[in-house]
Amino acid sequence: MKKLFFQGLTIVLFFLGTWFILAQIDWVKVFMIEEVTDKTEQELGSLFLEVFKQSETENRNPEVKALIDKMVSEICKANQIDKEKIKVHVFDKDEINAFALPDGHLVVYSDLIINSDNQEELAGVICHEIAHIQLNHVMKKLVKEIGLSVLISISTGGTGAEVTKQAAKTLSSSAFDRSLEKDADLAAVDYLVNAKVNPKPFADFLYKLSYNEDGIPSYLTWLETHPDSRERATYILEFSKGKSSDYKPIVSSQDWEKLKELLKEN
Amino acid sequence: MNNFKEFSYKPEDHECEGASNSYLMSLVAIIVGLPLPIVNLIASLIFYLSNRKSTYFIRWHCTQAFLAQFFTFFINSFGFWWTISVVFTEEPVTINFIAYLIAVAILNLIEFVFTIYTAIQTRKGIHVEWWFYGTLTNLICKP
Repeated sequence: MKKLFFQGLTIVLFFLGTWFILAQIDWVKVFMIEEVTDKTEQELGSLFLEVFKQSETENRNPEVKALIDKMVSEICKANQIDKEKIKVHVFDKDEINAFALPDGHLVVYSDLIINSDNQEELAGVICHEIAHIQLNHVMKKLVKEIGLSVLISISTGGTGAEVTKQAAKTLSSSAFDRSLEKDADLAAVDYLVNAKVNPKPFADFLYKLSYNEDGIPSYLTWLETHPDSRERATYILEFSKGKSSDYKPIVSSQDWEKLKELLKEN
Repeated sequence: MNNFKEFSYKPEDHECEGASNSYLMSLVAIIVGLPLPIVNLIASLIFYLSNRKSTYFIRWHCTQAFLAQFFTFFINSFGFWWTISVVFTEEPVTINFIAYLIAVAILNLIEFVFTIYTAIQTRKGIHVEWWFYGTLTNLICKP
């Protein structure tokens, strides 16, 4: 029996030892898995953005870009996020929506900004989308809903334009998993607090949207893709309790009003 | 890790063939059921059960072949489901995952080579006891 135990143990140790020794080699680097993944994500980001650019109009007003960039830069700076990673695009569209695309592209529709009562509400939505980018939710969602093989095929031009369009629309018009949404909400609260932005208006924004939840107007896409707004607003408020109260606006109130005016002109 | 030992009696030619077949069976099962480890195990189990009433030499080698498959099954299954979760879920490709797959491949290759070798030896009537599996078989399989 002792001999059997010794021999069994030897085999187990041999296997575990082989595994341990092999794990000392950075196979991810050897097989260039990260580079291939990054390249796929970059390609997908550009292709999907192109889909939206073809069907919608990107706002090229330098003042709009500068103000939105200022907000995103402040949030990134306060949270040690590489600003270069987040590429914001404002599209003129009568739809209250914002969404993240692969490779850090963040799309904000003009009507979301126009319908935000204050800059904190917009900052909340932006932080929520940045959280999706930072937590790698975008690629996770795509892999889950479309499949890795199709994604690689899209990125290498192996599929038609319609497949690319459908894949891009998945990100703009369908929800993430409830757990991913909650992770993004809680991370967004942290980002807001670190950037000294009051998270309460973000919760108010969700409450405000939740009143329309029963009869969602077609333009309220962000609400359709982010259900259970009331529940989310509640836990956002709960999570914000006891956090810093030294809040200040990122852009001046004049600039905020100017931003809305500029977008209303289009 | 193989060990040549004198068997308790000299097997007849048909016994050598039966014993050798138990290893060939597991080889075929490995090739056919490569993506699904359970196929190898079921095939070896069926062969083992169908030879329960055979002579001691055949039974002994069927048991050793089955036990080898049985333990490899767990290691292969773990690798199989890990791979499935990498391909179809959000599970990332990590260093540990690739190292595990290579370790599993090495283990299976060693077992594959030993299986071919033992199949040839048993066909010649030479009794081969594997490290650990042979000892375990001696405890389970009695004349």
